[in-house]
Amino acid sequence: MAPALIFVGVFVLVPLGQLIAMSMTDRSLLGGGRFVGFGNYIKIWNDAGFWRALLFTVKYTIVLTPILMILGFGLALLTVDNTPLKRLTRTVAFLPVVIGLSSSSLLWFWLFDEQVGLLNKLLTDLRVIAQPMVWFVSADLAFWAVVISITWKVVGFGMVLFIAGIQSINPEIMEAAVVDGARYWARVFRIILPLSRRIILLTTLISAIGSMLAFDQFYIMTSGGPRGQTFTAVYWIYQNSFVSFKLGYGAALSIVLTLIILAFSTLQIALTARSEAK
Amino acid sequence: MTTRTLRAALAASLVASTAVAATARADTMTMWVRASGTNAASTLVNLWNATHSDKVELTTIPDNQMVTKLATGVQAGEVPDLVSFDLIYMPDFMKAGFLTDLTADLKANPNFASVAKAYVDIATYEGKLYGAGFTPDVSILVWNKDLFKKAGLDPDKPPRSVPEIHEDAKKIHALGADTYGFYFSGSCPGCNIFTTSPMMVASGSKMLPANGNDDALTGEGVKDVLEQFKEMWSEGLVPKSAQADNGSNFVALFKTGKIGVQGAGGFLISDLKRDVPNMNFGVTFLPGMKDGEVSSFVGGDVVAIPVGSKHVPLAKAFIAWELTDEAQLEGLAKNNILPSRPALADNKYFAADPRIVTTAKALGVGYVPWVYHFADMVNSDSSPWINMLQRAIFDGDVDGAIKEGREKMKAIAAE
Repeated sequence: MAPALIFVGVFVLVPLGQLIAMSMTDRSLLGGGRFVGFGNYIKIWNDAGFWRALLFTVKYTIVLTPILMILGFGLALLTVDNTPLKRLTRTVAFLPVVIGLSSSSLLWFWLFDEQVGLLNKLLTDLRVIAQPMVWFVSADLAFWAVVISITWKVVGFGMVLFIAGIQSINPEIMEAAVVDGARYWARVFRIILPLSRRIILLTTLISAIGSMLAFDQFYIMTSGGPRGQTFTAVYWIYQNSFVSFKLGYGAALSIVLTLIILAFSTLQIALTARSEAK
Repeated sequence: MTTRTLRAALAASLVASTAVAATARADTMTMWVRASGTNAASTLVNLWNATHSDKVELTTIPDNQMVTKLATGVQAGEVPDLVSFDLIYMPDFMKAGFLTDLTADLKANPNFASVAKAYVDIATYEGKLYGAGFTPDVSILVWNKDLFKKAGLDPDKPPRSVPEIHEDAKKIHALGADTYGFYFSGSCPGCNIFTTSPMMVASGSKMLPANGNDDALTGEGVKDVLEQFKEMWSEGLVPKSAQADNGSNFVALFKTGKIGVQGAGGFLISDLKRDVPNMNFGVTFLPGMKDGEVSSFVGGDVVAIPVGSKHVPLAKAFIAWELTDEAQLEGLAKNNILPSRPALADNKYFAADPRIVTTAKALGVGYVPWVYHFADMVNSDSSPWINMLQRAIFDGDVDGAIKEGREKMKAIAAE
């Protein structure tokens, strides 16, 4: 117990305390800084840029999380058996997970490029579009470009978690269902899904928290544009802390974001626990 | 052992120990350089190391980490002996007290008098000097002579004003739908302060406020240039992809030979010669609204000594050396890099290519804004500068964009 407490204290509580202390100052990256009390928090309340970035982040999370869940679960169902072909398919689907997020974002940035991007070439060759598209010129297109890239990048992770969950279900339950005449989709919805509830919660939490903390993909693919419409909350914190040098304000923004994520996660866990109790 | 042998042995050991002592006295300085300046800095450092017993050890820092790294380094007392960084951070670093005062040394240096004025201005704070030009870059206008010829324009006559760029661009775009007259990176604040702002400055405008009481975006030059850009955009003379280009394609399209005219940096000359050796292109100063008005943005790196450097005299010797003819010509010009002394533009290495001479001379007509919070005001992805350009050019609201830009820049300058 004690080593765990020391670990949490040194690596979580002390830095968190320092962050809270810094959020009460107007400290600059270039040094200095006076105590300003809750001044930074009052400033956040009036920071339209932050709220817009936060709203955009929530939209991104709400759109991306179900996509990752459904595709991850679907892939898991397709590849859950341990045949050589399905193992190979799993490996292929999981491969992008081990690529760095920055590398994959850069890869997709160029795939979407109007001049040299393979995606435009494919779409024009298939006559889906007449002219190559400029993906990052509109906030909506840029949003979907990032969603596509991230889905490719992380869907394999959810798949692996779901496979682990499905494989841990007692085979006798499935066999009994088959004997009782339950068809495939009935088994999926009435046995596999309910018994995968913990995995679903875990995957949802990982996906939602990851999306709420999105930064690299937007920094590399959209640079927050067009017109700052694709700034995420973390990107906004980065801008304030390291571009505008406002470390104190950036710290306050980080505390607010942490509290928001904490509140959502607690709510999610509570709701799941309640449904399990029923 | 005879007395003579003993004496010889003693003498030999004395010589050897002297040599060892001399070797021990040779110091190694550390130097941080931002990634985009590494190649140029390496040529100078290699020359120094080849000609001096004291050595410089170069460490590359990613561009976007330099401020953080130097700031934390100074506060922790862990700094290099020399640092080469983007000159726009000079005012912030000088004000923060990060840099060593070099006034006496630089003023006593005869070579310093011929350093480009922009470098002297940007390195001056409250009458004192804190750095020197190191590896310069400067903005220029490039034009594709082959396209000019095809469009019936004189390939040896570059546009001499922004309206002339506009007229030439119309004729070049008439060559075909996929050939464009003009290009700029519409979502890249840094590219545009580098290439678009000099057109405004040449037209008599002042760009950025030095403090909250100073005016921003003054004069008609800002409006006139934005109007021209807006018209070129709405007339389809600029590729649609320009609107979303955050700098990734800053010069890529020009290399394809489908762009008639664009602002760029001096670095493009060697890029084009290497990547598209058959392209026939010209280089001239960035023009203003009227014939004869020219300017450029002086960029690149300055070199300074962080407070806490452990080899200050040696670091000062390096800075004095990098301004000499030897370093400027054999270290920089020989490697197709601009010297920071414009008077050295006409040298034997540049003689073969007048385009490089033009670029080197652009340093002499260039400007660099002396402001705090440059990144916030200009380089940030949500800066008032890029917002103004986009609102004016792509939305067509020139007056509204300038008004908003002025207000936001002043608010940042007042912080």
